[in-house]
Amino acid sequence: MSNTSAEIFDRGYRAYEGPRTGIGTAMRSVGVSTVQRALGLRRKFRFKIVPLLTVAVAYLPAIGFLAVAILLPADLAGQVVPEYAGYFGLINILMVLLAAFVVPEVMGSDRKTGMFGLYLASPLTRWHYLISKFVAIIMVMSLVTMLPVIFQMVGYSFLEIGPDGFVEILKTLGRIIASGFILSIFFGLFGMAASTFTDRQLFASAAIVILIVASEAFTSTLVDQANAPDWIRIFGLLTMPANLIARVFGETGVDAVRIEGLSDLGSLGVWVGFCAVFVGLITVGYRRLEVTK
Amino acid sequence: MGVGRAGSGSDPGKPSWVSQDWSGTVVLVNTATTERTSSPSAVISAVAVSKSWGSHQVFSDVTADVLPGVTGLLGSNGAGKTTLLGMLLALHAPDSGTLSVLGADPATAGPELRMHIGYAPEHHNLPNDVAAQDLVRHIALVHGLPKREATTRSSDALWLVGLGEERARPVGTMSTGQRQRVKLAQAIAHGPKLILLDEPTDGLDPVQRDDMLALIRRIGTDFGIHVLLSSHLLEEVERIADNVVILSNGTVRASGRIDDLRTGQGGMTAILDSGVELVAASLQRSGYEVAVERNKVSVGTTEPLEQLADALRDAIAENGAPLRRMEPVKQTLEDLFLDEVYGS
Repeated sequence: MSNTSAEIFDRGYRAYEGPRTGIGTAMRSVGVSTVQRALGLRRKFRFKIVPLLTVAVAYLPAIGFLAVAILLPADLAGQVVPEYAGYFGLINILMVLLAAFVVPEVMGSDRKTGMFGLYLASPLTRWHYLISKFVAIIMVMSLVTMLPVIFQMVGYSFLEIGPDGFVEILKTLGRIIASGFILSIFFGLFGMAASTFTDRQLFASAAIVILIVASEAFTSTLVDQANAPDWIRIFGLLTMPANLIARVFGETGVDAVRIEGLSDLGSLGVWVGFCAVFVGLITVGYRRLEVTK
Repeated sequence: MGVGRAGSGSDPGKPSWVSQDWSGTVVLVNTATTERTSSPSAVISAVAVSKSWGSHQVFSDVTADVLPGVTGLLGSNGAGKTTLLGMLLALHAPDSGTLSVLGADPATAGPELRMHIGYAPEHHNLPNDVAAQDLVRHIALVHGLPKREATTRSSDALWLVGLGEERARPVGTMSTGQRQRVKLAQAIAHGPKLILLDEPTDGLDPVQRDDMLALIRRIGTDFGIHVLLSSHLLEEVERIADNVVILSNGTVRASGRIDDLRTGQGGMTAILDSGVELVAASLQRSGYEVAVERNKVSVGTTEPLEQLADALRDAIAENGAPLRRMEPVKQTLEDLFLDEVYGS
């Protein structure tokens, strides 16, 4: 008698009576698939270009600042390299790229390819689906909004030009994470809202870029040329989140994007208001969306 | 209760509900006086379901049962087949009436219920740049399968539909026939109890269509998965379905086992060794419509089959005609469809 054990590898298709995981696993699966799609993973190279380039560009300044800080003496380096809120100014621009080119891809493609219908034929509801998408988009955006700045802070700390002491490190880390969420949530929801009303990625991307540029040009013209009050700039889609981030870091320097005539709470309120409008648009759009009719 | 003919739009003088039990006894039930309830064995039951899109009434007072096995959902384009599938998946709520799918109300048990339902939509769009196995595995995960099961079962499902060797290929590089198979694979990979297939043979050539129909039939018989197949093609439903639901003008015109529906609706025939003319004359005197073709007498009627069978038997006995065979006329599904939908 042989002691060799045998194992059947191909049992063929059969009924499944085993346990099923809950909605949480289903949402996580949608989220993972969205992150992969957003970053171009398991896809052709051309789909990787925008996301990976954006992520790479986001880390370049941190690497540059650290290189400068390494080369210069600590006391001089502390004066030359920018603070964290300044870094978020660059990230703010990169978020436009992610909002305009990555978010429409992960939102519109599900409707265009019929995946949205397949999801709704699963245990997921449209609200589960939207939450999964939102969380995935925030995670992708966090690669750009949080990690480079955390990397910068860790580097500064090693070079002794960063926050002083454990408590200060925690405070700065908290501010970086809060600022990252401010940008990720704002641009994530903005991109989702713009993608809600068209399946065509190009239209959504164009709408996002045009709205951002137009809002900035219009508010700047009003304030600079027509002597409108400074708070009008809160309607600039880049200035508004940058203003809130400057307040999170308590920065008041010339580089800080701080809108005069608006309190910290007022700035937060405007941010919440914008986000609420985006959520409203997404809700209306997806509630009306018919899958089978 | 196995066979039903819904009454909306039928002649006022005709009974609005006909049912037939498994022994073949035909019972006439008037829906005006009898409460309509669903069959306990039904996979899907609809009782007095109505649905409108704006001012367009899609369904009006629809009552029908879908029995276990493979069921064809027949109707012309725009008859509301896809809307009905959407309602079964709880994607739309009926304006009135009650639905039951696998014994649960989709409106309240939606997510839990959908875990046990597979769905293959009509459209040919799928993510082009995703490998077939990744897509099928992803849908299995979304339906609640653990990771390992999702991986093995997605592979098994793709082998079953004949795409085992092609499973790593992006869907966008596949032919229409292969895409239809991927849609079928994703519908069955998570081990559903019921699958809803919306026009699964759309866009296929005759050979691919035959293969797909054989595959669906196999899924319905070998693996015990109930199949509701939406189609506007009578021939394919007749080939693989055990049951049928015929939709027209917002109503269910007929539903039940195809064999039962086809049997007896067109009258009876008797094959005699001699005396054909005598038997025909007797029946004509009794007011029946009779056709004679060589040694076969065919009798058409609108009255219950039992009554007609008695009259035919009496006519044969009265004339001493030697009887070889007597049986109900079996209509084709096309006859049945035309009769129910167009009344001709």
